Amino acid sequence: MTLATYFDYVIFPILIISVVLVMIRLYKGPQVVDRVIALDLIITIGIALITAYSIRSGESVLLDVAMIFALIAFLGTIAFSFYLDKQIKK
Amino acid sequence: MKHFLMNLLLSFIWVALTGSLYYSNFLFGYLMGFFILWIMNRQEADRRYFNRVPKTIGFIFYFLYEMIAANVQVAYDVITPKYFFKPGIIRYPLEATTDIEINLLSTMISMTPGTLILDISEDKKSLFIHVMYLRDRDRFIQQIKKGFEHKLLEILR
Amino acid sequence: MTDILTAIFSTIGALAILFASIGILRMPDFYLRLSVTVKASTLGVGLLLICAAFTFSDVSVTTKAMAIIFFLILTAPVAAHMIGKTAYHTGVAIWKGTIIDELKDFYEKKAPDGDENPEQQP
Repeated sequence: MTLATYFDYVIFPILIISVVLVMIRLYKGPQVVDRVIALDLIITIGIALITAYSIRSGESVLLDVAMIFALIAFLGTIAFSFYLDKQIKK
Repeated sequence: MKHFLMNLLLSFIWVALTGSLYYSNFLFGYLMGFFILWIMNRQEADRRYFNRVPKTIGFIFYFLYEMIAANVQVAYDVITPKYFFKPGIIRYPLEATTDIEINLLSTMISMTPGTLILDISEDKKSLFIHVMYLRDRDRFIQQIKKGFEHKLLEILR
Repeated sequence: MTDILTAIFSTIGALAILFASIGILRMPDFYLRLSVTVKASTLGVGLLLICAAFTFSDVSVTTKAMAIIFFLILTAPVAAHMIGKTAYHTGVAIWKGTIIDELKDFYEKKAPDGDENPEQQP
């Protein structure tokens, strides 16, 4: 069994099942903050998927995209918490 | 600080001489430069750098061990249907004073699963930590003080 | 050899991410969800990036992977702290099994004169 088939049949299904599970929480989430962390986790799993795909296909260029994703996830969470905080203070 | 720059210079010289730019080669050059500097400076008074480097490496391994152990515990708790945890928010008195020490300490505490920084008091004297497995409050505070804070302050001061 | 190491590390990383997503689905309150999620997912992504650094064994790729890991470790606790603090201010309920809450005493001590919790004054 080569590494590519192992990635195809084991790693990608695990990651995709986790995305689906987090999607349920994103749909259900009782408060806004639950949805914010669910979105953050989805972006983090996206970074993991991009990394796994770049290992599987041997294209290291895709890691740049992962870096930008890591930046944007952080900014998104910070912006959400900033505006939620501002909303209460008013 | 002076010793650290000299060590870095020595490792760059090693990389340039061997001509292969890999991280393993760089690390090997760094260790060799550290050894040479250690031999050369045995008589000098200022030997703090040579105590700091092994302590830093030990601290990194200790941190990785703590992180993996706590992760295994949390993962076991997540997949078994019964909840074992007793969460609680406790006040933790800080010994670290400057901003960088508090920042590093809170990053370390937040990165180990099961503990999470929720807030810091305005006079920077105490942290509020959300703990997942709170058996005994005083013992937990002692554990973090002995484990993380003292080791971190030994390196930084 | 590299393939076996890559397979083991990536399996552990993917399982860590799976545990994080099961945890976010079935933990009873927000703080526990946050507490489980952020670290396990950071560990998983870090392990996968270490795999990428192993597989390519190129200086530029290793540097990129190290930069991403460093960035994640630097920013994940900050984001968790911000969103946790906001949730506490918004009044997100704590699970009923929580044994002590010392932050509540702190806020009640701090804000008796303000109008932050008006239900305190009868």
